[in-house]
Amino acid sequence: MVIKKINAGLKEIYPAGRMLTGSLEKRMYSYDSSFYARFHNFIPDAVVLPRSTAEVSATVKLAAEHGIPVVPRGAGSGETCGCLAVRGGIVLDFSSWDTVEEVDTENMQVFARPGVVHYRLNEHLAGFGLFFPPDPGSTRMCTLGGMVANNSSGLRAVKYGTTEQYVLGLEVVLPDGRIIETGGVNCRALKNVSGLNLTKLFVGSEGILGVITRIRLRVWPRPQARGLAMAVFTDLEAAPAAVLDVYQAGILPSGIEILDSSAIHAVNLYNPAINLPDAEAILIFEVNGNPAGVAWEGQKIVGIVEKRASRVEWSTAPERMAELWRGRSVVAVAAARLRPGGSRIFAGEDISVPLNRVTEALRRIKELGRQYAITVVNYGHIGDGNIHTAPVINLDNPEEVARANALVDAIHRLAIELGGSTTGEHGVGAVRNQYAVDEHGTAAEIMRQIKATLDPKNIMNPGKLLPPGEVGTIV
Amino acid sequence: MSEVPAVLQEYHLRCVRCGQCRSVCPVFKEIRTETVSPRSKVFLAHLLFSGAIKADDEAASLLSHCLLCRACTVECPSAVPVHELVTAARALAAKKSPSQLKKLFYNQIWPSPARLSFSVSLFRHCQGLLEPAVSLNLLPPALSLPGRLPRRPARASLPAHTPASGKAKMRVGYFLGCATNFLFPDTARNTVAVLARLGCEVVLPQDLKCCGLPQLAAGAEKTAAHMAAANLEAFRRLGVKVVVSDCASCTATLKESFPQNGGSGIKVCDLSELLVNLMEVTKLDFKPVNKIVTYHDPCHLANAQSITAAPRNLLRRICTEFREMPGAAECCGGGGAFVLHHYDTGMAILDKKISNLKKTGAETAATLCPNCIMQLRHGLLKHGAGIEVVSVVQLLAASLGITS
Repeated sequence: MVIKKINAGLKEIYPAGRMLTGSLEKRMYSYDSSFYARFHNFIPDAVVLPRSTAEVSATVKLAAEHGIPVVPRGAGSGETCGCLAVRGGIVLDFSSWDTVEEVDTENMQVFARPGVVHYRLNEHLAGFGLFFPPDPGSTRMCTLGGMVANNSSGLRAVKYGTTEQYVLGLEVVLPDGRIIETGGVNCRALKNVSGLNLTKLFVGSEGILGVITRIRLRVWPRPQARGLAMAVFTDLEAAPAAVLDVYQAGILPSGIEILDSSAIHAVNLYNPAINLPDAEAILIFEVNGNPAGVAWEGQKIVGIVEKRASRVEWSTAPERMAELWRGRSVVAVAAARLRPGGSRIFAGEDISVPLNRVTEALRRIKELGRQYAITVVNYGHIGDGNIHTAPVINLDNPEEVARANALVDAIHRLAIELGGSTTGEHGVGAVRNQYAVDEHGTAAEIMRQIKATLDPKNIMNPGKLLPPGEVGTIV
Repeated sequence: MSEVPAVLQEYHLRCVRCGQCRSVCPVFKEIRTETVSPRSKVFLAHLLFSGAIKADDEAASLLSHCLLCRACTVECPSAVPVHELVTAARALAAKKSPSQLKKLFYNQIWPSPARLSFSVSLFRHCQGLLEPAVSLNLLPPALSLPGRLPRRPARASLPAHTPASGKAKMRVGYFLGCATNFLFPDTARNTVAVLARLGCEVVLPQDLKCCGLPQLAAGAEKTAAHMAAANLEAFRRLGVKVVVSDCASCTATLKESFPQNGGSGIKVCDLSELLVNLMEVTKLDFKPVNKIVTYHDPCHLANAQSITAAPRNLLRRICTEFREMPGAAECCGGGGAFVLHHYDTGMAILDKKISNLKKTGAETAATLCPNCIMQLRHGLLKHGAGIEVVSVVQLLAASLGITS
């Protein structure tokens, strides 16, 4: 009944073609890249494709009136069910609202709508000699709206930080349909400390506080040069130690990635031509900036790392760099090759630990893998302690799926025990919210209160981020 | 349970639903809903194969939103052959909700050269009547794509055997595809003449059928398999070891269907592949054709056969200037019956191609697929740009002084 009214209301807001009504069409919105979504049927009641703030506001008002959930969605490349209608409701697919509205080169900022794909933005900015530094592995598909909502980062966070450092302001549709601008109305200043920092509140809020409809991003001059160093270690502990050595020498690489022995093995099985050396760990350092600086830092890194590594190779030649990078770029999918019929799952895939506990975390994840009899592959952004663990399981075996879930829980608890977090850059969504109280203590309660204040009816992306059992009307 | 092979049924386990396919799918780039993304096809195929959903009209409609261009298959980090899943799912859907008209057309008329030829001739005679109906939107606009068909198909004027000029270096079987035969008979004649001039003895079996791609795309996989077997036999009977075609879709289909018919021992080659890689003709002297030329990669050559360098090498060799086109490997939107069902989407994809084509400043666009030629010419007609679209073969013929 309510759904009928909602559909009638949506038909007044959206033209045909931007409202999907087929039951199968809606079913295609039941997944993202998460393990969890594979075992659930989170089919939304309605799917619309907004292309204006007015449309979003009208939609949210309609949903508020009837008390049904609103779920913003970008490319659906997330791993947390963040964009899925876990309690039904209206999915707002922003894929088609992808306008870069303005590149303000004089003020080093850009205005974009939420559906802009990350690499498209950087392609566009390159024409102005600029770039938006966060560099997620999903660059080819992920949208800016999703990046802001999840405060995502990626390979270059070690030097450039995460998305939040670049968000100067947001246009947000609140759960009652009001439209606000954070970071100052009509503000184009790069610095602004007036008022409570609502921008930071919305960045990483995973759609539970409102719908982001426009993004003002700070952009940086594009670096002119880049170089890569690949270092091979016969001892796992030497790798994180080498990372600290580099930092202590006063060098901040633009990326530091690790592959452990299981990842190396997986890459070589996946594509023998890549032919990574058999080792306990491989580190890849990326340095960028001006050509002279890159050359100097590269040589410095080689000199430092050589003391602990069995081999170090430095290159600034594009083809060779691409070769050195290939192992890192395929490992996420190569993991599945470690066992016949295995599938790599995205669960427990994003813990973040203090730099001085990385070695311990890597060792203990391996132990957990043995304990639960599940193959695990480790890789990730070691430069900031963000470890991507890839369990490889047989998805058709319910008993193994249950074991994988237990392993994932243990990995998450390990992260908290080590003074880290269950997620470094992928987010909480509906798959890590059970750890909210353990991670945040009383602060989790404050999060609940903020949510209840802004969204008393709990219509905005319910069932995500906050500890289970939110206040407000549960729908 | 369906008759879908287990290997196809398991691909959905390999798909991690990362969505990287969204970055290359020409249909997704236009429509931009998850329902047309390649990833959704993998999911949909799984739902169909596992019996979780019925193959109804909605499923068929979602499956129809695919050009079979294979850009997603090439892009997929997990190596999921999305196009195979789409064709298998279409086959399942065709079985479950068979359209009698489609069945008749794909299973009875098209596989028979005589019936197909009769139908095309009938269509040609009716074109004068159809055109007003198309312009009044009474008939699908895609019917205007081929333009006025030539009076005589190529087959009527091509001999079964053409000797090489001079000493034969090689004996090849020419696979005359339907589109080349009915739409571009000049291309067919030039292909044979060019091959002969460059030292090939050319054999054209008289009982060839269509390559079977239209059947595969429409879900008539069994008919496609029968046609492949018949074609293979036709070449075997003549002792042909190398089969060549000027149609990327035909060679892509034959390369995949011949080996499945019991290790054929026949090598299938795209024309540029044969000339450049096997015969090394780029070492020969060509009389330069005075044209600024660019090249459009047919999906079935670049994505399905990984052939991108050979045609360019040929064009660089025979034309005074070659200019690379931005997005040369992006689909032109003309995937077989796709434009019949989704004309507007096909045209939107085509518009981007035409815009890229214009950017080159080239006066000639060459390619190696009759379907692409038809589509590109249609786009240029619409946009009124004075650029000619030809098969690479036409330029080769011009360079060799062949007039057909």
